[in-house]
Order: sequence, then C-alpha cells, then structure tokens
Amino acid sequence: MTLPTAPQDVAPATTRAAARPTTSPYRLSAVRLIRAEFLKLFTLRSTWWSLAITLLLTVGMAVLIGAASEGRIDPVTAAVLPIQFTMLLAGILGAIAVSGEYSTGMIRSTLTAEPRRGAVLASKSLAVAVTVFVATLVTFVLAAVLVAATTGAAIAWDDPEASVLPLLAAATSMAVFALLGVGFGFALRGGAAAIASTVGVLFVLPIVMQIVGAVATAWTWVGDLARFLPMNAAQSFILPGGAIDQGPAALTLAAWVAALLVAGWLVLRSRDA
Amino acid sequence: MPEYDLRPMPRIPRVRSVEGMITAEGLTKRYGDKTAVEGATFTVQTGKVTGFLGPNGAGKSTTMRMIVGLDAPTAGTVAIDGRPYRSFHAPLTEVGALLDAKAVHTGRSARDHLRVMAATHGIPRSRVDEVIELAGLTSVARKRAGKFSLGMGQRLGIASALLGDPHTLILDEPVNGLDPEGVRWVRGFVRALADEGRTVLLSSHLMSEMSLTADHVIVLGRGRVLADAPIDRLVQDWTQRGVTIASPRLSELAALLQGPEVTVTPSPDGSARVVGLGAPAIGDIAAAHGIALHALTETTGSLEDAYMALTADAVEYTSKELS
Repeated sequence: MTLPTAPQDVAPATTRAAARPTTSPYRLSAVRLIRAEFLKLFTLRSTWWSLAITLLLTVGMAVLIGAASEGRIDPVTAAVLPIQFTMLLAGILGAIAVSGEYSTGMIRSTLTAEPRRGAVLASKSLAVAVTVFVATLVTFVLAAVLVAATTGAAIAWDDPEASVLPLLAAATSMAVFALLGVGFGFALRGGAAAIASTVGVLFVLPIVMQIVGAVATAWTWVGDLARFLPMNAAQSFILPGGAIDQGPAALTLAAWVAALLVAGWLVLRSRDA
Repeated sequence: MPEYDLRPMPRIPRVRSVEGMITAEGLTKRYGDKTAVEGATFTVQTGKVTGFLGPNGAGKSTTMRMIVGLDAPTAGTVAIDGRPYRSFHAPLTEVGALLDAKAVHTGRSARDHLRVMAATHGIPRSRVDEVIELAGLTSVARKRAGKFSLGMGQRLGIASALLGDPHTLILDEPVNGLDPEGVRWVRGFVRALADEGRTVLLSSHLMSEMSLTADHVIVLGRGRVLADAPIDRLVQDWTQRGVTIASPRLSELAALLQGPEVTVTPSPDGSARVVGLGAPAIGDIAAAHGIALHALTETTGSLEDAYMALTADAVEYTSKELS
C-alpha cells in the first residue's frame, strides 16, 4: 500500500482563516449535539447488529409463541413477550454506546468537542432512547402483525388499551433498558463491568429474588421488592393486570432511569477522562 | 514645488487581535501521591510555535489534557485568552487538539469520525472533505479507523484538530509515526498557522525536529517548568561554545592554549575541542608560534545539548547501560 501524501501547501486553511469573520458560524447547540450522537450510533455496526438481532428474535419468538398457542394468544401479547430476552440487547446497546467510547479513547474527542459533560450525557441518552424506541416499536408492530397473519387472530386496533398502548409501552420499556445501560456505562466506563451490571439488574436480580422469595417464605418483603425491579415493573407497565398498577410501574421505571443517569453523571462530571 | 506622493498608502496588514494565548498559573496535578505536574506557570504566545519538551513522565501530556479540560487540575488554573476551556461555546474553533492517536472509535471510518465531530458544531461536510484532503486521508477515508497504521491515525488526529479552523493548536507528539513526507507536512502547516498569528503548542521527542519547527520552548522536568525561553537563548545559555582545532602540532598548541579558564579536550579523530577561548585568540597564538592550523571552527551546542544539560537531573527513567 502506498501512503497518500499530504499536500505541502496549506492554502485552504490559510484562506479560510483570513476570510473568516470574527464570529464563527460554527458553534455548539443542543440540536447539533443530539444530531452528532445519532450519527455516532448510526455509523457503528454494533448498533445495527443489536437492532437487527432484536427484530429477528422478537419476530421469530412471537410467531413461534403464536403457533404454539394455536391462535389462542393475543398477537400483541405474543409480540411483547420476547422482551424477557431482547431487553438484554437493549441494555447492552446502551452500555456499549458509552463504554465503546472509553475503550477506544473516543470519549476524549467527544469531551473536547463538548466540554460540558452534562450535555454529552443528556444528548447521548436522548439519541439512544429515541433510536431504541423507534426501532423496537417497528419491531413489535411487525411481530404483532405477523402473529395475527399466521394465527388468524385479530389485533384489536379499535381498543388502544389492548393494542397501541401495550406496543408503545413495550418500546418505551426497551428504551428504559437501554438507558440503564447508558447509566452503567458512564458510571463504570469499562465495557465488561457495564454490561455485567446491566445484565445483572435486568436479568439476574429478578431470578435471584424469585428464588430467595420462594425459599425464604417468611421474608415477604423480598417478593414485594422484586415487583419494582426494572423487568418486573416493565411487565406491569406493558400489560394491565400485573403485580403493580401501570401508573406506579411507569414511575418505577422512570426512577430507575433517573437513578442510573444521575450516578453516571456524578462520575462523568468529577472524574478525569 | 513640494512633491506629493500620490501613491495609495501602503495597506497595513490587519493584525489579528490577541487570540488563543494559553496561560497556566501554578498548574498542579496529583494522582494519589504521584505528582504529574507541580506548580507549572507559563504562557504560550500567539503567532509562535512553542515546543513542549521533557522526558517521558515529565507531565507534558497531563498539562495538555488539563488545557482542554479533560483532566481537572488539583491546584492552579489554565486558560485560553483568560477563559477556561469549558466556557467555550465553539471549542473546536478555539482549540484544535491532537492528544494521542487513540481518541477515535475504532469501529468508525475516518470520514464518519470527522462527520461526528463536525456535527457537534454545525461544521459543513465541505470542511470535512477539506481536512481529509489536507491530511492526505482521501484514499482511506472510508476505512475503519481501527485498521489504521500509527501514521494514518496521526493524520486523522491532525485532521480532527484542524476541523474547526482553530486559533490554537495543541499537538502531542504530532510527528510520531509519520513518514518523512508527513513530518515535513506537519512542520509546514504548523509554521504557516503560527505565521497567521495562531498559537501552536507541540510536544516532540525529536530534538532536531523541534529545533527546526519551534520558536520558543518550554522544558518540563518532573512536572516542573525548567525553562521557558526562545530556542536560541536556551541553546546559548545551556550549551558551551567551543572551537574545534586541528593541527599537525596539536599537543604543542594544546599546551600553549591551556590555562585556568581554558580546557582542551582531544577528540578521537585527531582534532581537539577548546572551550574558553575564541577562534581569533587561538589563531593568533598559533600564528605567534608558527604553528600551522588545519581546522579552526566555532561550534555551538544544539537544542539537544541544552535539553540534556537542563534535564540531566530530571530524567526519571534514565536508560540503563547495557553491560
């Protein structure tokens, strides 16, 4: 391979500098920062892989569940059930959106472009949440439609509480899981630690508490507390009739996001990059 | 009749207002009980290329990271035009920084990396293409940065630093890994930017490179500022001027020159170096005694000599002699 040679003269830079007015039109803004964070997500293969696998898993499992139930299951319910697994993909996508910047050194470029660290955290969180929300909403709708088509069961589109709202809540929950990953990413920085913590809170903790609750029957508080874990709260939030009401479930999810993003922000603002 | 000069007044070149000056006051950084930078006070002037010299671990990189707000000082302040980096609304147009080659996501192409950086400031795509061309990255712009050689990574880092057409450039070891062509290119644009009135701070381990590029040097050793001076003054103050002589009757001449203030050191090649006497005095003495001179050359020290003299005590990682 022959290395390209940088031109010796620097005329473009020179003329630009001379012609430039004292107030440069280039400056930071919230919209630009958010656009840059979207661009970051879309220019990495890992994002597309995570979203594609989420789609395939969701559609595949939903259609399987529909077929196994011989059409007795509601297509929307079948579409949102795979969240139990795909939540990990959302959480990991959020975690590596941050830890990938630390492991590669990109974070130094990011923080020199925008030294106000809270703005970096906010714009990244927004970009990750919106991306995951939109991609998984499409995924869930597609899965529900395919289940309906393969089982012959109808989706109750005229009843939002049985169709539109659960699908929206499911996509929102996926965005919440991704944000937990973002929070862990900023708080822990390392990819392994951030992913392990995200998987731990989303997947391992519910199982542990379920086992403890089943064995230590005297400790009823374990079961009470387990209802407020992200995955369990999301289940209550998506479909009515869960362990807690939908309002408290939504608040619980919001509190998890707030807690982890604040933890991430506290680390980000005080530590050297 | 008086003569009037009817030619138009010569255009006075418009001088940029003082912009991009870096001032550090009592800058200190400690990691636990290890002190990386200790009370560093210096000014990096506009319109000059300032070299940042010092052995490994002297605190150069840490100081550079503090300038752009990545590391928070333990004590002291550093500002650009009196303002902390974090207060800028368009940091990329104020300061372009190449801190190390590893500040790019390995999974993103060079072009996408620059597009992301540009997007934060609303810098147009045309400028992204411009810096890609400027840095000689056109043929690899769509390649993922993780597959770049060290030299290519440096070029991408430099392209990134130039993106916002900044008043101040901070380049940590910019020629590291570059081919000779690339080294010349960096020297050229750094010079051109300083001549436009911008501020350039660059570190390098290559003394010869530094003496070719820099006007002014700040020498750090063990986190302290050891010297902050124009390059020629530093060389003058920290190296000995001497005269190299050669003569068929060298030992005879050496005996004549020797004095309390004068030392004559023989070299293996048959010449000798005289310190403490100027060339005219040596020539006169030789002539007075009828001794033929085959060489009489004034020698000044190099930046490297000055640097070695300055940092002799400050080298933390002195290389071990191989026995």
